[in-house]
Amino acid sequence: MSEDKQKLINDAVEKALAGDADAVNNIEDRVTRAKAKAALVKAQREQPKKEDSNDDASKPDEKEPPVSNNTVQKVSASLAAKFPKSLDGEQNSDWIQLKPENWFEIAKWLKDNPDFYFDSLQCNTGFDLGEGLLESRYNFHSMKHLHCVEIRIRVSAEKPDIPSVESLWRVADWFERETYDMFGINFTGHSDLRRILLPEDWEGWPLRKDYEEQETYHGIVVPKVKEGWE
Amino acid sequence: MGVVHGQEMVLNIGPQHPATHGVLRLQVKTDGEVISEITPYLGYLHRCFEKHCENVSYEQVIPFTDRCDYLASMTMNFGYVVAMEQLMDIKVNDRVQYIRVIMAELQRIASHLLATGVFGLDLGAFTPFLHMLRDRERIIDLFEMTCGARLLYNYMWVGGLSHDLPKGFVEETLRFLDYFEPKVDEFENLLGHNKIFVERTADIGIMPAEVAINYGVTGPNLRASGIKWDLRKDDPYSVYDRLDFDVPIGLGIKGTVGDSWDRFYVRLQEMRQSINIVRQAIDKLPKDGDVHQSMPKKIRPPKGSIYSRTESPRGDLGYYIESDGSDTPYRLKMRSPAFTALGVLNEIAGGWLMSDVLAILGSLDIVLGEIDR
Repeated sequence: MSEDKQKLINDAVEKALAGDADAVNNIEDRVTRAKAKAALVKAQREQPKKEDSNDDASKPDEKEPPVSNNTVQKVSASLAAKFPKSLDGEQNSDWIQLKPENWFEIAKWLKDNPDFYFDSLQCNTGFDLGEGLLESRYNFHSMKHLHCVEIRIRVSAEKPDIPSVESLWRVADWFERETYDMFGINFTGHSDLRRILLPEDWEGWPLRKDYEEQETYHGIVVPKVKEGWE
Repeated sequence: MGVVHGQEMVLNIGPQHPATHGVLRLQVKTDGEVISEITPYLGYLHRCFEKHCENVSYEQVIPFTDRCDYLASMTMNFGYVVAMEQLMDIKVNDRVQYIRVIMAELQRIASHLLATGVFGLDLGAFTPFLHMLRDRERIIDLFEMTCGARLLYNYMWVGGLSHDLPKGFVEETLRFLDYFEPKVDEFENLLGHNKIFVERTADIGIMPAEVAINYGVTGPNLRASGIKWDLRKDDPYSVYDRLDFDVPIGLGIKGTVGDSWDRFYVRLQEMRQSINIVRQAIDKLPKDGDVHQSMPKKIRPPKGSIYSRTESPRGDLGYYIESDGSDTPYRLKMRSPAFTALGVLNEIAGGWLMSDVLAILGSLDIVLGEIDR
């Protein structure tokens, strides 16, 4: 008798879970109906739990940002602890904005710190933000840990002084010369800061947004083609 | 017994010199026959690539990238479109990806053929150069068949390709690979084990691994120093993670790890790997798929910046692109692998003889178009 009832309850709960709400209500015996309802509530409570646990399993994936962002946050946090005054303005998860003052010490620390060990300077580029602001951006990479970080240093166009990191990464020698050549950013402490791609006696900084070509160069008229590129 | 010092002399190599691979001036300070310092003077081929890019639309940048490294135009296109697709979050279909890989690897073979051939030519070995140029011609014929151009292709576009593969391309490529595979062994015997060549390159211009990393040297030059670093393996882009290949490194077979001979030999080995990759890519090439499917009508990336790296025949080719949301780049910087490779010249050539300078310079495989931009 009890086995039959149990079977009845199980069937009703299954039907109810599948969407048939009346399956439980249609049971005639009050006691069995109540037991069925209790079983249904229990079953429903278990179901969302299963979904929850699925969610939990997927959440860490979502929480874990791509490796590069993770590195940026890690470096940013350690930098804030080690050089508290060096961070410049708002930080985000894609790059680190620094002030120019302590840049050489920070660079040395980034290179020597065993946690980061950024032994390779991939790219250095100048940048004209307009409104009299220039920026030097560095993309570092670690051959050992295989992670990357981008660092940006902002200076005013009137006094564009950034400490040179040439002595740490020798590749910065030519990178900084190129940035100087194109933007006029003055890398203090650089051993040989000359123009690299343009002639020594060229005037102006070509990649700044307010650049105007010189009229003549050694008696040769510099052509000014402003139209015709479209 | 002290060291005998000769009188210091300043000697100019270039700007017009067949062994400078473009227009490059080297100011060499010599102490007798021994080099004490080399100062490269660049900029003879500066064409304001980055400034031009700020004035043209994103599509119009692609032909400019061709002209930077005119010996590996396909991979220059490839690097740019990979960066743009990351910036705009475009997914392209598998057919496009595999065609790109086929083209990039054929280009790598062509570029390495020229690099190793000219390297031999710099040292006076004329015959291998002609053999290699003959085979490079067949790759260029394949490219001509595909897009009509022989040197500057403008083939890879953002989100797709300019043309699909022509009829008969796959068969022709397979025929070329069957022909070419034994030729690599022939080149190895012809040039690599030639006694004069070995004498001129083995143990010459040794680049230790730390020096290479510190100077930002990448590509075959870095691998010749014994470091297994290849972006196709270590930071895979496109479909390289689905292909099976080795990364050859310098082993110091004829001399020391990181000498000029190793740099030559790594390139030779890479040709073998590229043949292997092209074969696999042709095997996996999907039959259908529109090469124009994912191409945006108007290229206008969202605000933001990207630094993206790909492996060109000369090393890590990086594009730093900053978009302000308009249809021209706000700033575009190309990180040229040959630029950093030339930067190390003074470090590794100091102390060697005058006659070794051209051997070392040739082994670095520089292209001045890419250095000066």
